[in-house]
Amino acid sequence: MRDEALSKVLREATIPVTPETEARGLRVVEAAYAEREASERGAPERDDLENRRPLSRLALAFGIAALLAAVLLSPAGAAVRDWVDDVVESPAPKPEPELARIPGGGRLLVQSAVGPWVVQPDGSRRLLGDYEEATWSPRGLFVAVAKGRTLTATEPDGTPHWSLTAAARVRNPRWAPAGERIAYRSGEELRIVAGDGTEDRLLARSTAPVAPTWSPWGDARLAYVSGDGKLRIVNSEAGEGLTGAPALHDISRLEWGAGGTAILEASPRELRLREVRAQKVAPGPALGNPRTLALPGSGISLTGAALAPEREAVAAVVTHWREHGTNSEVLVFPPGADKPRSLLTVPYSLGEVAWAPDGRRLLVAWPGANQWLFLPVGRGKPRAVANISRAFSPGERAASFPRVEGWCCVR
Amino acid sequence: LQVEGDVDQRRLVREAQDGSGAAMARLYSLHWRGAYRAAYLVVHDAAAAEDIAQDAFLAAVDALDRFDRRRPFRPWLHRIVVNRALDWARREALRRRVDGAESVFEPLPPPEQTGGELMAALKELPAEQRAVVVLRHLLEYTPGEIARMLELPRGTVNSRLRRGLDRLREAAEAGSLAEERQ
Repeated sequence: MRDEALSKVLREATIPVTPETEARGLRVVEAAYAEREASERGAPERDDLENRRPLSRLALAFGIAALLAAVLLSPAGAAVRDWVDDVVESPAPKPEPELARIPGGGRLLVQSAVGPWVVQPDGSRRLLGDYEEATWSPRGLFVAVAKGRTLTATEPDGTPHWSLTAAARVRNPRWAPAGERIAYRSGEELRIVAGDGTEDRLLARSTAPVAPTWSPWGDARLAYVSGDGKLRIVNSEAGEGLTGAPALHDISRLEWGAGGTAILEASPRELRLREVRAQKVAPGPALGNPRTLALPGSGISLTGAALAPEREAVAAVVTHWREHGTNSEVLVFPPGADKPRSLLTVPYSLGEVAWAPDGRRLLVAWPGANQWLFLPVGRGKPRAVANISRAFSPGERAASFPRVEGWCCVR
Repeated sequence: LQVEGDVDQRRLVREAQDGSGAAMARLYSLHWRGAYRAAYLVVHDAAAAEDIAQDAFLAAVDALDRFDRRRPFRPWLHRIVVNRALDWARREALRRRVDGAESVFEPLPPPEQTGGELMAALKELPAEQRAVVVLRHLLEYTPGEIARMLELPRGTVNSRLRRGLDRLREAAEAGSLAEERQ
């Protein structure tokens, strides 16, 4: 066999690739490039934040992980391994090869490239269908899913109950704690629909690209960020505004939690809490002054934040961008504290963070290592589970890292 | 697969460094297929090959500001691709030894292939031999360049190449014999 013949076979051998494979990669690379440009030129536009940041964060995580992995694992990496060991610590637990059970129980709703999955306490999982977003109903009896202009309510086994078609793309569905309403964004509008799919109506004409959040008290109050950058609380039944205040600049996440006493606002650089208290005279709630939660160091990005279900504790994930390497830290701000406690530091970028329904654990995505980390906030043993991408994209050629949409209902 | 002259690629790198998304996209379109094919021929797993090719470009984005414009882009990218593919193949081999089993999710069966026997034989080579065969005969680097990319002595590259080609040759001859018998 001549060399030219071998070269010809290698060049022309049929390999599994489609135009979509190439296009997927291009989208990720473009997003990473856009983020690089944005970070060099200042803060990105809000639309960019919503449309690109989750993807590019993942992309950067993979990129940095890949670069470091390639360098460190190759023979050429021996010389640089020492400085990496010096600048990062890695107390992450040894990963288990697959999710055999959810630590602490409950069920997970996980959005992957092929659609949302329901993960049972024993780790078994079911794909709900070809949807782009999903959210639990309050007790996990149903799931609201969205794709394009369609909002659908399904059983957790994927059986659909009803669907509605909105005028514009449906985003950020959120089921009210009492179960009777679903709020969602359609284009720029904020709308609500009854839990049985009826009475769909407009609540606000202009919203920022941030998911609305319901009062945990089970009443009709809903908080959202309006198109003019204000944090507003409305009575969704009466359609009347109750109170408002300027929202955090570049806000990307809004969460009403801590038993209803606080609202968390997060941007890529800042994290703050607002107290929510009942008023003695007026019927609506009052918003307290924002309290900034101090993130450690400079040159950091906030990649995830979540407010505990019943307490005013905040979990945050920050990435430290350093000249010679990147590492990420999981932080917890105890109730009332402005400074955090560090739970874990790992190399590369971490992703989003979610509280367990009982508030005792955190689930932290670690795309760079293709792992989920289950971290006890108090006593307990941390656990790690590997091979997450492949578990939620079986048979997919591009096993992108999935996103945890919700951890529901320890019973 | 020498897709564009070095001068053009240096220009594209310079423009990408200066903020041109179009230049970055052009670099991607010029090199993605080669990177993906090289990765696939080393790892023989489509999902992993896609991740590896993507990771290499993300590394390129990440390192763009530090990239020396005088250096050619293509070998720098291929160096990442092949080293990453080798790391993946080594980890996969280790995982199989530790787990004693294949992944719970079987990779998709490959479609009918041109050069079937040869591709099957390539897959059976040790990853280190596959990598040098791919670098030499797909990406057309010289043994000296391969030695620098993989940080190996040139003699090691030559011996891996020779052993790999011997086994591929045997497979090709066995395939020809089988065809003749039919």
